[in-house]
Amino acid sequence: MSFLGYVRPDGSVGTRNYVLVIPQGIISKSICDFVVGAKTIVTTDHGSGRTAGDRETIARLLIGLGRNPNVASVIVHAASPGAGYPELGAKRLADEIAAGKKRIEILDPAKDGGTYGAIAKGIQLARVMVYEASRLRRVEVGDEHLCLGVKCGYSDTTSGIAGNPAVGYLYDKIVRAGGTAMFGETTEIIGAEHVLAKRAINPEVARAILDAAAIQEAKAKATGLDIRTVNPVPSNIKGGISSLEEKSLGAIHKAGTAPIQGVLKYAERPKGTGLFFVDNWMGHLSIFAGYAAAGANIVLFQLGGGGVTGRTLLEGSPTVVVPFLWTTANPKTYAAAKDSIDFYSGTVIEGTETPEQAGERLYHTVRDIASGTLSRSETLHYSEPIDMYLQQPRF
Amino acid sequence: MPGKRALIMHPSDNVATAVEEIQPGEEVTIPLGKDSLSVRAIELIPFGFKIALHEIPRGEIIRKYGDTIGRATTPIAKGAMVHIHNLEGVRARGDLERRGEG
Repeated sequence: MSFLGYVRPDGSVGTRNYVLVIPQGIISKSICDFVVGAKTIVTTDHGSGRTAGDRETIARLLIGLGRNPNVASVIVHAASPGAGYPELGAKRLADEIAAGKKRIEILDPAKDGGTYGAIAKGIQLARVMVYEASRLRRVEVGDEHLCLGVKCGYSDTTSGIAGNPAVGYLYDKIVRAGGTAMFGETTEIIGAEHVLAKRAINPEVARAILDAAAIQEAKAKATGLDIRTVNPVPSNIKGGISSLEEKSLGAIHKAGTAPIQGVLKYAERPKGTGLFFVDNWMGHLSIFAGYAAAGANIVLFQLGGGGVTGRTLLEGSPTVVVPFLWTTANPKTYAAAKDSIDFYSGTVIEGTETPEQAGERLYHTVRDIASGTLSRSETLHYSEPIDMYLQQPRF
Repeated sequence: MPGKRALIMHPSDNVATAVEEIQPGEEVTIPLGKDSLSVRAIELIPFGFKIALHEIPRGEIIRKYGDTIGRATTPIAKGAMVHIHNLEGVRARGDLERRGEG
C-alpha cells in the first residue's frame, strides 16, 4: 500500500511541505506572520543557563525539526539568547540540518542590518522558499516512508482494551511494511518493562529498556512519595485505572507486537527502521515535538477521556510541522468532541468490530492524512508552546 | 436474557473490565475464547471498572493482561468492584521505601 508524499533530497518523504524558521524569537515569528506556509516554534527555553547535556537536547530538537521530512527548507537566525553556546550557534544548527541536503539560509542581525534588517531579509527569503516548495508535487510512495509517534493520555480502561490495541495494529502494519514507529513514556512502562524487554532484538536493547524503567522508578522512590498520588493521574483513576502497573500494561498495547530495535533519547533520530522505544516523558507539550524532531511524519494521541467531561473541543499538541491525530475508544469522549477526533474505535467495546478491523480503519485514516487530508487539529491555528524534555538543573 | 458484558484480557486474570454499567445483583458474562465465564455482581460496577472473578484474599496478587497490576489490601469478595479502595500498586512506591518496606 502507499500514500502521496513529498520526496526530499535525502530520500525521506514528507506528509506536509513547510518552510521552517528557527530558533524561536521575534525574527522567526515576524517572518511567519508575514509569509504563508512558514512555520516556527514556541518554547519556554532558549538554552541560556542550561548544562551542556540539556543544550545538546535543545540542539537535537532544533536540528531534528529542520531535518524533518515535512520541511522543504530552513531559515536559521543567530539572534537567540542561547546562540552564544557552540551547541546552539546558528552555524552548528545549519551545518547539521544541511546533512538533509535541503536549502538552508542563515540570518545574522550583526551582518544583516540589525533585527529589522534580519526580519526584512528573512521575509524576502521565506517568500521565495515557500514558492519553491509549492512547486514540488506529491507522488505515490510506499508505507516504508511512514514514521509514526504515539502517546496515550487521559487514559481510562477503554485505552488498554480498545484504543491502544487499534493503534498497536497500525504500528505492526507499518513496521511490517518497512516503516518506522516510536513509542515511549518511561514512567508508563513501569510494571510492564519485562514484557517489552522480551521483545528487544538483542540483550543490549533489553538491558536499555529495563535500565530506563529502573532509573525512572528510582527517581520516583527518591521523592518518598506514593506514586499513586502522582501517576496514575486523577483522570486515569476516575476512568477505572487502579495502579501504575495497570496503566503501564494497558499503555504498551499501543506499540503493537513488533521487535524493539533500540532505545532512543528524547528528539533522537532512529538509526534504521522498525519499532523504537523512546526514553521520554508523557507530557503532551513535550513528547510530540520530540517525535517530530526524531523524524515522525504522523503523530497520534490515543485518548481515553474518562476524566475529561465537558471538553467538547480538543486542541492539538505542538508538533510544529507534523500532522497530529486524536484517536479514542471511549464513546462518551467521542460523543462530546466528535469534530475534534480523527478516529474512533469504541466499536471494539460495543462488539461491532475486532481490534484488527478497527486498526485497519485507522490505517486508512492515517494514509489519507499522510496524503494531505487535514487532521482535525490542523484546522485550528491554536498551538501551545513546546515544553522541551530537559532533565538537568538550571544555573 | 444474556448477562451484562465484561472483558477478560488473559485467561490467568482474576478481574474483568465492565464494558457497560453493571447493577448490583446482575449476572455478568465474560467471553473467554469459545466459552464464557459468569459472575454475579454484588455491587455497582461502572463502565470501565473491574469486577473480581473469584474471592481474592488480602495480600493476593491481582492480575489483568496476564500480569500483576497490584495486590489486594483487603479481602475482596467474588463479584465486588476492584479499584483503589481494595487494590494497591506495588511499584515506584517511595512511601514504602521511606518506611523501609519497599
